[in-house]
Amino acid sequence: MATVNQQSNFGKVAWPILAWTIALIFFFPIFWMVFTSFKTDADAVKPQYLFKFTPTLDNYANMTENYDYWRFAINSIITSVFATLFALAVGIPAAYAMAFNPGRHTKDVLMWMLSTKMLPAAAVLYPMTFLTKNFLQIYDTHFLVILVLCLINLPIVIWMLFTYFKEIPKEIIEAGKMDGVTTWGEIKDILIPLAWGGVASTALLTFIFCWNEAYWTVRLTTTEAATLSKLIEGNRAPEGLFFGRLSAVSTASVGPIVILGWFCQKQLVRGLTFGAVK
Amino acid sequence: MSSNRKLPRLLQTPSVVLLLIWMIVPLSMTLFFSFIRYNLSNTRRPEWTTPSLDNWRGLGNYNYVLDNNNFWLAVQNSLFIVGSILVLTVVLGIILAILVNRTFPGRGIVRVLLISPFFIMPAVNAVLWINMILDPVLGLNGIAVDGINNFIRGLHDFPVLGSFFALWPEFTPISFRSTQNSAYAVILMVAWQWTPFAILIFMTSLQSEDESQKEAAILDGAGAWSRFTNLTLPHLARPIAIVVMIQTIFHLSLYAEIEIVSRGNGNKNLPYLIGEFATNNIGAASATGIFAVILANIVAIFLLSMIGKTLMD
Repeated sequence: MATVNQQSNFGKVAWPILAWTIALIFFFPIFWMVFTSFKTDADAVKPQYLFKFTPTLDNYANMTENYDYWRFAINSIITSVFATLFALAVGIPAAYAMAFNPGRHTKDVLMWMLSTKMLPAAAVLYPMTFLTKNFLQIYDTHFLVILVLCLINLPIVIWMLFTYFKEIPKEIIEAGKMDGVTTWGEIKDILIPLAWGGVASTALLTFIFCWNEAYWTVRLTTTEAATLSKLIEGNRAPEGLFFGRLSAVSTASVGPIVILGWFCQKQLVRGLTFGAVK
Repeated sequence: MSSNRKLPRLLQTPSVVLLLIWMIVPLSMTLFFSFIRYNLSNTRRPEWTTPSLDNWRGLGNYNYVLDNNNFWLAVQNSLFIVGSILVLTVVLGIILAILVNRTFPGRGIVRVLLISPFFIMPAVNAVLWINMILDPVLGLNGIAVDGINNFIRGLHDFPVLGSFFALWPEFTPISFRSTQNSAYAVILMVAWQWTPFAILIFMTSLQSEDESQKEAAILDGAGAWSRFTNLTLPHLARPIAIVVMIQTIFHLSLYAEIEIVSRGNGNKNLPYLIGEFATNNIGAASATGIFAVILANIVAIFLLSMIGKTLMD
């Protein structure tokens, strides 16, 4: 064991320094965005004010005026919240059925659900535009964005819930059955309280995915239901004139989500690997 | 008992029906459009602007796409972008996961800092990188190169050595929006965003590594490198495969980053080409879409068989 201790003597100093340096480099772009958001647009592009400048909150105060931020933010909130709720409402019963009453084909159904997630969105771009614009006339509505966000996340929701539900001993659910509890009662009174942590982290992660979605929300909306992704994409080419205000609106768009993300690091692994890495 | 079992089974029906419609309806439309002549506007042949069986073209759209240089370029770009991101994220992910797998002061904060990029909206990620960091004039890229040039120019006044520095060329900042370089910008920003994903998964996996085996190896005199290649790497094989496949599926459909970086002037990937075709030639867009589906399916089959093995245990 002597060698181990000798190594860690050097490592005790070098290891944390290396880790901290790399972590700060990784975080730098985010820091730079937040930092720039406190500069005026004029200062933001002048090298002499790179680090020394008079901080201002104007960029945040003028967000509504400059970008109509809240209209987009409210659309993002509405569509992400409802898409998450609908996905849970449809997903919880499905995951319950698969975890506690698996049939011969349960595994195939789960696999197939996952495969829908792998369909490249661009391949069905035109049919979706055609259907929603000409046929159903729901293009650029909250309803459409909620529906699409719900559908693209449903496989992940079911998968995550399934892996959480499977950890609950079957006997507890069976015991409820003996006492004559209805299926609905089983889900509401036994399953959800027991798997509350799992349901909450599934909801959190789904919300993050919905918020960050940048293909359908951009391609299937124009003004009415446009989300923050659309707002930022629309301002992709400020040619340096608006770095300050653009940083502010970007910070306001990602801030809440990054903080939410810190709370569900662990669940992220489960959600993104479909339970294959635990 | 049988009624007790039937209802629970029925509970999965809504999900199955919804996903079935979501998958089958648009995809079969794409399939149909890929076999007909279909333009959004065509003054010479107005009959081609409505989707109809009368405009049947057979495999014509597929041949048109396969003969199109842009298609092969897009396939090449797609594979190049995905491949480069994979190499970067897996290598960085392994190194950083090992780095934070030890306890040291502030480890929790380091982890939070490392993982944050993953939660940044793709649109914000692209706008932030291409403007504020990579812009050759106003971004940090331009400012840094300018600074270096000014510094060297200052050295020109140096006695004796000044004439030596005067021979140095001026550096020009790389323009990441240009056609040749836009793929690098996309690779850089996406790798930055997805390295945390690799770190998270490798970290989770490292925690289940057999410590006693490692200690035995140390006692046997195995060096750090040989422990890494003989114990850690094999242990990580499965997570690496999963990281590779999941990222492949996500990155084959990259769109927002490509759109924001080059606005169509730079390296295009398959989804971007589909979007371009779809502004008028729906037949070609659909045929390209079918190729994209086939490409994604090849990866998906591997991934699904891998996950399927561990599903029921």
